[in-house]
Amino acid sequence: MAMSVRVRLGSQFRNIMRVCFHENRHMSTAEIVVEKSENPKEPERISLEEQQRLNDIAKNERMEKLLNMRFAYQEFLPDPNPKNRNTLKERLERRDMLARRSNVEIPEFYVGSLVAVMHSDPHAPGKNNRFMGICIQKIGAGLRASFILRNFIDGEGVEINFDMYDPTIQRIDVIRLEKRLDEELFYLRDAPPEYSTFPVDMEPEYQPEGSAVPVNEIKVPLKPLPWLVKWERMGMKGIRDVTSMLTEKRLRMSKLKQFNKPWEKYDLLKMYSETIPIEDQVEIFSEIQEKLHELEQHRYKMKRSRNFVKPTKMG
Amino acid sequence: MNQAKILNLVAKLKHTNNIKPRKLKNYRGPEGRIAMLQKSLTALLKYERIELNFNRADETRAYAEIFMSQIAKQGSQNQKSIDMANFWILENQIIYKLFNVLVPRFSNDVSYTNLYHHPNVYPGILRPKAILELKNNSFPKVSSSIKNQSSVENILLKESHKRHFIDVITQ
Amino acid sequence: MESTVCPVRHVPPSSYGRFRNACCATLRFQCRFSSTDSQKAAAQTAAIKSEWRRRRNVIFDNEKQRQQSEIGRIEKVAVKYLPWDKDEAPIEMRMNKHLSTPYDCTKHLTEDYTKTVCLALVDRRPWDLQKPFEQDCELELITMAHSNKSPVVNTAFWRSCSLLMGCMVEASFKDEIQVYLHSFPKPDLKSGSFTYDAVIDLPDWKPTQAELRAMSAAFVKLSNQESFMERLEVSEELALDMFQDNPFKNKQIPNIAQNHNGKIVLYRIGDFIDISQGPMVGSTGIIGKATIASVHKVESNETDRLYRFQGVALPKGTRLNHFAWSVLEKDARKFNDLASVTPVRESVTSAPTEVVSDEEKERSSAAN
Repeated sequence: MAMSVRVRLGSQFRNIMRVCFHENRHMSTAEIVVEKSENPKEPERISLEEQQRLNDIAKNERMEKLLNMRFAYQEFLPDPNPKNRNTLKERLERRDMLARRSNVEIPEFYVGSLVAVMHSDPHAPGKNNRFMGICIQKIGAGLRASFILRNFIDGEGVEINFDMYDPTIQRIDVIRLEKRLDEELFYLRDAPPEYSTFPVDMEPEYQPEGSAVPVNEIKVPLKPLPWLVKWERMGMKGIRDVTSMLTEKRLRMSKLKQFNKPWEKYDLLKMYSETIPIEDQVEIFSEIQEKLHELEQHRYKMKRSRNFVKPTKMG
Repeated sequence: MNQAKILNLVAKLKHTNNIKPRKLKNYRGPEGRIAMLQKSLTALLKYERIELNFNRADETRAYAEIFMSQIAKQGSQNQKSIDMANFWILENQIIYKLFNVLVPRFSNDVSYTNLYHHPNVYPGILRPKAILELKNNSFPKVSSSIKNQSSVENILLKESHKRHFIDVITQ
Repeated sequence: MESTVCPVRHVPPSSYGRFRNACCATLRFQCRFSSTDSQKAAAQTAAIKSEWRRRRNVIFDNEKQRQQSEIGRIEKVAVKYLPWDKDEAPIEMRMNKHLSTPYDCTKHLTEDYTKTVCLALVDRRPWDLQKPFEQDCELELITMAHSNKSPVVNTAFWRSCSLLMGCMVEASFKDEIQVYLHSFPKPDLKSGSFTYDAVIDLPDWKPTQAELRAMSAAFVKLSNQESFMERLEVSEELALDMFQDNPFKNKQIPNIAQNHNGKIVLYRIGDFIDISQGPMVGSTGIIGKATIASVHKVESNETDRLYRFQGVALPKGTRLNHFAWSVLEKDARKFNDLASVTPVRESVTSAPTEVVSDEEKERSSAAN
């Protein structure tokens, strides 16, 4: 009891210290502002049209920022099938997702990233299990969002499908943040094991903050036939040329229009029915943006405070 | 399990909630369906008012709306919109018309087309017909909305409103 | 017992079903042949009423036949039909003098016209559809949709509604209650309701909601019969002879005749005949949605049992939001004191409708 109280008091003091520190910093910046105002420039007169233009630009930037959230927070976009749309259900789900995110940090990662997941497992020794692997698929909207991790362990290919908002997940670490050329990497199942083998005890690779997510442009060779899927028809970008492996008939078949579907990328209505319109996306992301930002700030502070812990005496 | 695609961004359609693509029965399958729509879309941009079977007209309308909004959003210099125009429009002079005439005309609009049900001519094939047109075209209007201010119901309602107004003032 | 509570004869709506219908019929049957004195008397008055009605119709038919036989040799008139659409060419028709009517002309055009035309303009003057041509003329046909071009059709519609309400009032009451139709004031759309004044032999009657609904149903039923409005001009003596049973009409007829060269204009819907200067719409089928909104007691010098029936109606095919319609109904429920504003009740006495003056009035109001 007494211990816990002391711990709490300690954290209180730390908070107060942080506030003082911040306030001091604030004061110092205020001085700089005063210096600047001593030799003022001539105020520029902005016409009404110019102001309108600036406003528009600012508005567009804000929109752009909101819409760019769709890459990192894809699972917040609902199922685009109009039969399954239900605004109330979607809102409630978003609330639950945020509530889960306030307990467990779900970091930004993509298909192709190396991810380690610590989760409760009643059968594992110590009741916990850690699995590390390459993310080969991210799918599902809302609370049903899930991802598949793949790795080779003891000479055996292992894949685990995790629900992203599963309460048994304790911790998700991104070991290496990167993208691949495709949206799904199921062809790794037909690739030699070294392309999906990653050491379990890899150290996380940190990247400078604000830098773009790198794209790993590796082209994977496939094992000889038979394959699980006719990959030559799928138009995958991350596969090395496979024409030498195929029979003449399969090669001919793979060039047929009905498999290539060259019109599909121009099919506007298909594109429309697979996406959430801009207006809806803006509404969704402006709703969750504030809360996510708050969580991020909180986490940032906690990290800093963790770093401040006094070094223990080495024996 | 479905998940929204995020590569493309599209503006919301203003005219309809039904976005389930129609099959448009065709012996060439999906390719033939697209070819039909290419023809209709080109004709729509060329003549600005066309008469079609209702299904085809409604489908063409959805494509036309998305097409115009994408091009208006991306601008005529964008490679994507040029590709799109090259695919959908079968005549070169219509592509020229699209970028130089239609896009400036629709710069401030949210929807670009009108669809009207068209009566069948008897005797004939009794299939639902429709008229599809671009907005702000130079033809006379399809439907005339004549408002008869001196019809019985309008006079009655007007007088009722007046009386109500007087009642409110006197109170 | 029932008669004191609900003097209006029950008109079963169709939804009540055949069983209800049959029950009502049996009840009426029993009432008529039960042995009490009052019911006997009622049966007698009913017989007298229907006898008067039959007599009026016989006289009407005879007079009509007489007038037609007087025509003698049939002459032709050239009627030039001018369509509203200026692009369409005018049509010239050879019709029979004193015999053919604008309604006959519509039959030569399209079926649509025979159903929807309400009124004709002959040489730019309002003309009943059933009134024969007298000379070569230009003809225009007006439907309810043309009310912006000639507003007189609205007045005619309102007047026809009043007339039909008279028919309804005469038919709706039980046999033992004396009903005398009195007159109806000048139709005015702006007052919000059409009216008919009738003398009913009840000291202080206030209709219940059910009774009003029953009357509305009767009104709609009559309008659905789509019967023509037959028009006939008769002399004063004949009119007096026809309306012998109605003391109030008897008083009014000489006054009207004075103002109109001794002529009285009669209109017949089915077997109901009434006096009005017209014009009326072609048939009762023009009337669509209708409600009998209220009945108010009116003070009068002649009698202390004068009641004013008020209703509101719309032409067939008009689409109106139910809320807007409820507003109109609510408006029609208020007492329509149009006649008290102009102390001489237009009734049938004061030259019911100089249609031309009506038109001028509306024109002047539009100009203002």
